[in-house]
Amino acid sequence: MPASTPSSDPVLAPPPRTSLWLGLASVIALVTAQTHAILTSPPDADMGHLQKIMYVHVPAAWMTFIAFFVVLVFSVRYLWQRRENDDLLAASAAEVGATFNGLTLMLGMIWGRPAWGVWWVWDARLTSTLVLFLIFVGYLALRAFVDDTDQRARWSAAVGAIGAINVPIVYMSVTWWRTLHQPPSSPATLDAAYTLGLRLNAIALLLVLIYFIRKRYEIARLERATEHAAEAVAMGGR
Amino acid sequence: MAWREDWRRVRAIARKDLTTELRGKAGFNAVVSLGVTILVLLGLALGPDAEALRNAAVGAVWLATLFSAVLAFNRSFQVELESGALESLLQYPGPRWTIYAGKLLGNLIFVTLMVAIVVAVGVVLFGVRIPDTWPTLLGILALGIVGLVVLGTFYASMASRSRAREVLLPLLLFPMLVPLLLAAATASKALLGADLMHEASAWIRLLAAYDLVFLIATFLAFEHVIEA
Amino acid sequence: MIASNQTFIIAAYAVTWVVILAYLLRLVRKGGRARAEYERAVQLERQERQS
Repeated sequence: MPASTPSSDPVLAPPPRTSLWLGLASVIALVTAQTHAILTSPPDADMGHLQKIMYVHVPAAWMTFIAFFVVLVFSVRYLWQRRENDDLLAASAAEVGATFNGLTLMLGMIWGRPAWGVWWVWDARLTSTLVLFLIFVGYLALRAFVDDTDQRARWSAAVGAIGAINVPIVYMSVTWWRTLHQPPSSPATLDAAYTLGLRLNAIALLLVLIYFIRKRYEIARLERATEHAAEAVAMGGR
Repeated sequence: MAWREDWRRVRAIARKDLTTELRGKAGFNAVVSLGVTILVLLGLALGPDAEALRNAAVGAVWLATLFSAVLAFNRSFQVELESGALESLLQYPGPRWTIYAGKLLGNLIFVTLMVAIVVAVGVVLFGVRIPDTWPTLLGILALGIVGLVVLGTFYASMASRSRAREVLLPLLLFPMLVPLLLAAATASKALLGADLMHEASAWIRLLAAYDLVFLIATFLAFEHVIEA
Repeated sequence: MIASNQTFIIAAYAVTWVVILAYLLRLVRKGGRARAEYERAVQLERQERQS
């Protein structure tokens, strides 16, 4: 039997409520940041207005990493303290992270088609992002195919932590793989004219990320609490 | 003397693993045959131009290895699953890490023997010209096998006990093997080709670091994963 | 060249909003259902405990 968790206590900690206002505020912030960036950024010397895609693509990538970092932290924390809520938070961050990851990939392809002429190139960033996406998908698949909640939590935490360790290694190896034969394809440094817009969009998208993770976590807590209540009833009350 | 006791336990688990029906001669032959079959299919799909095949050799051998190894890893936990032996194994006194080490050792031996045959067949089918640096190539192969076995055994300990073991193990394992595949393939190709030795040595160091990192990480995590 | 670039820029922002709004909708719907189920289950448990 698993170690006792706070949720096995009949007096359940009520699942948190996520304010819809946070969601609305983050959407408004995002619209504002995007409008500002589109209207005020000058066309790039090489790419013209195509550079404007960067304001959605790059923050999406950053949010993916932040989400993965959250998965790492709470996976390790679960292995350490075995608090079920940590597992639920890690899983929520993984689902949201996978969504932002998929978005990053799509935007990378939409940027790449006019920039390079093809829908896909095996460059360092796109390839690494794709591998990261597969690691996310594996984590979510594992959760889908394991029914026992205790086992699912332990295994997800182990897979999440070990997967996260691999992320920088994947990036490093794919970058080496590319630089041996070709110089990097996308510009590494950013003109100062663009950084403010980028930062504003990143902050706005971060608000969206926080809202999504909190909301998803609330749902996970509600579902788990419902399960517990149903179990208590099934066992004939106390 | 506890050390010697642990080591004996590790060897016992490995020996048990390697002598069961699933993993004995018949099981080994089946997995190797699969590896060879995959090589043949790859040769047919990518050939018949000799130059194209020679360029594809390293990738083909590694892919055949990966797909065959996945079968071997799932089977290494299947015996316990079917007879319920995993629970009794866990009840025995002794540290848990010896179970993991025993599984690792068994898989290491199994996969090494399998790879030896697959590589030999691959060299012949794909017309590989063996260079003077072949000892280094063997070293790269060895490091690759270690990483493959470490991560494969670790993920198989979970996937084999889930509802969808055939698809879950490759789905979990293959993205994790990306650095290993890149390092082993790129370094091998460098040595087989014009050989810029310094290029290969950087990849070899990455491989070694990768093996060490995941050996430690999986040992630490196995404790949490093995409970029934 | 610049005109067709515009198509891709619009596509990028469109895809971004489709994904964000679709996921938001999913969360709100799932959240409503989960909250309703939870209230029902807690009600039931409370009744059980009283009886």
